[in-house]
Amino acid sequence: VALWLDELNSRTILLYVHFLACFLGLAYLPFSKMFHIFATPISQMANAVMVRGKSDPASYAVKQIMELDGCMHCGACTLRCSVAVAFQQIPNVNILPSEKIASIKRLASGKKLSSEQLATIQQGMYLCTNCHRCTDVCPAGINLQELWTSVRDALTRKSLPEPLLLSPLSLNRALKAHSREPGDEGKPEEWAKEAIEATCDMEKVRDRSSPLKAGNDKLPRVIHGALAPHGFSNCFRCVTCSNVCPVVRNYRKPMEVVGLMPHQIMHAVGLQQWDLVFSARMLWDCLGCYQCQENCPMNVHVADILYELKHIAIKRTLAGIEKEPVLPRGGTS
Amino acid sequence: MKYALQRCCTTPILLRQYESSTNAVLGAFGIISELDRDFNCCGYPLRNYDPMAYMLASARNLALAEKRALDVLTLCSCCYGSLRHVEHVMKSDELLKQEINLTLGKEGLAYQGGITTKHLLQVLYQDIGVEALKKSLKFTCNGLKIATHYGCRVLRPQNVVDFDNPFAPVKFDRLVEATGAKSVRWVSKLECCGSPLMGVNDDLSKDLTGKKLAGALQGGADFLCVACPFCQIQFNRVQQMMIQEGRTSRPLPSILITQLLGLCMGIDEKALGLEKNLISASSITGFLKPKAAVGN
Repeated sequence: VALWLDELNSRTILLYVHFLACFLGLAYLPFSKMFHIFATPISQMANAVMVRGKSDPASYAVKQIMELDGCMHCGACTLRCSVAVAFQQIPNVNILPSEKIASIKRLASGKKLSSEQLATIQQGMYLCTNCHRCTDVCPAGINLQELWTSVRDALTRKSLPEPLLLSPLSLNRALKAHSREPGDEGKPEEWAKEAIEATCDMEKVRDRSSPLKAGNDKLPRVIHGALAPHGFSNCFRCVTCSNVCPVVRNYRKPMEVVGLMPHQIMHAVGLQQWDLVFSARMLWDCLGCYQCQENCPMNVHVADILYELKHIAIKRTLAGIEKEPVLPRGGTS
Repeated sequence: MKYALQRCCTTPILLRQYESSTNAVLGAFGIISELDRDFNCCGYPLRNYDPMAYMLASARNLALAEKRALDVLTLCSCCYGSLRHVEHVMKSDELLKQEINLTLGKEGLAYQGGITTKHLLQVLYQDIGVEALKKSLKFTCNGLKIATHYGCRVLRPQNVVDFDNPFAPVKFDRLVEATGAKSVRWVSKLECCGSPLMGVNDDLSKDLTGKKLAGALQGGADFLCVACPFCQIQFNRVQQMMIQEGRTSRPLPSILITQLLGLCMGIDEKALGLEKNLISASSITGFLKPKAAVGN
């Protein structure tokens, strides 16, 4: 057989096959996962000499794109992520840093994404405490934290509302206000508030002259029931909660700013005036400082009720369901 | 004594001096706060957004600590509030506890209520005690006027957090007075620092911070003293922003409780990181007097 193969000149043929395979392999390399053996050292070198704010913004952006190829998807970041646990409850892979990268690649490639896809990516980008742990452990030295910040800023330009901005997760964004590029002064937190208002019948809310109609009797039930019937029905409208609220006291005419004050919200919940309740800016101006609850003479869990109302408002907005409170979860009450 | 440290996500980036000064002060009394790399965020930032994700986060940390039979120590009032709240909820709602433990079970974890959470102030006040603290001091700062800022979640809701009287708390003040400083009375002492709204409604957040600062100045305070990273960031970074914007004219420095105690204990200044405070607090060293001299 060997002689026969030799007569066929198989050595040369195999040599060509070998060469071709090598070239094909090389040609395929940039599109394969193994590209990181080149991209990682290059991005590490670039990282060592570039600092955000000092380097030219355009070349910094190029560096960040290079970093995307430096990721070998090892998952170290996800293992250390501070909020990875949220994935157990919110099934969005973009919460996990190692999976965010893949989505950023799709974003950066300029592919057309539906607004639903964009919203999913955006939720993942903002569900981050900026604890820097992903960046600390990345073996490729990718500055993941800066990457999330840049992508958030880029997503902001698409003007999609993001309810996560109405949480302390926004703190980091606010502290970095001075370092944002000019032209990025949009107020995305306002868009989120507007999106929540859009789930309410605002004409009815603004019209204070016509009498209130009986509310929808579907009582929203949430997770541990401060909103259960007894929660607010003990309230005898003594207004203590609003009197001690530092937010209410900050304004001369609080209703013009916050919509409904805490005691009015308790009242409106009792009357099942959901449009009034969910359109109240008070929900998002609430500090969660528990002054109202601690001072309530009737032991109404005012702050806990406000929290539950926030949850329902966000679920309604996310689900895009209008005008009817939804049952967010099975609930235990 | 050993605790599992719930590290607040903001401290390693924005407030390293809080952790280093805490380790130095507690270390002097043989208390170790051990960092568990598996711990995650306490869930507090998700509290507005998704109740279950919020509770899972705290419950997971409690379960991890329970596995090692250590109580949790936190330096953050918001972490404390969250962890205590989840402890409370899991104790009072069996169904919810089962649901949470079912999810944690995927990782082989469960929280049964065997351990609890302590705030730094509790460890200082209860584990160490004011008398032992006083004995350990090498310097006193008589004449220094301090406005103590408790932080909301360490006081309220009392039935959940159970630290001090929510209307007339004294424990933090006693700790400060142990150094010889005077804890002044001031109007907005028990109010929120404004931090939870930073990024949600910056204007309102700064208004509230402004009121706090004005109140403390009016009370005659030389310094604010805090025991929560969010409050400290608000009184430093945000106050700095407010000064730049012309919202406030007279800066009021804020010092961490562990920095104040550490200074009086004569702990190495490097560990205390006083120079890292954005609103310079270095003038406090002028109040320090060797303890022996005071007796004369």
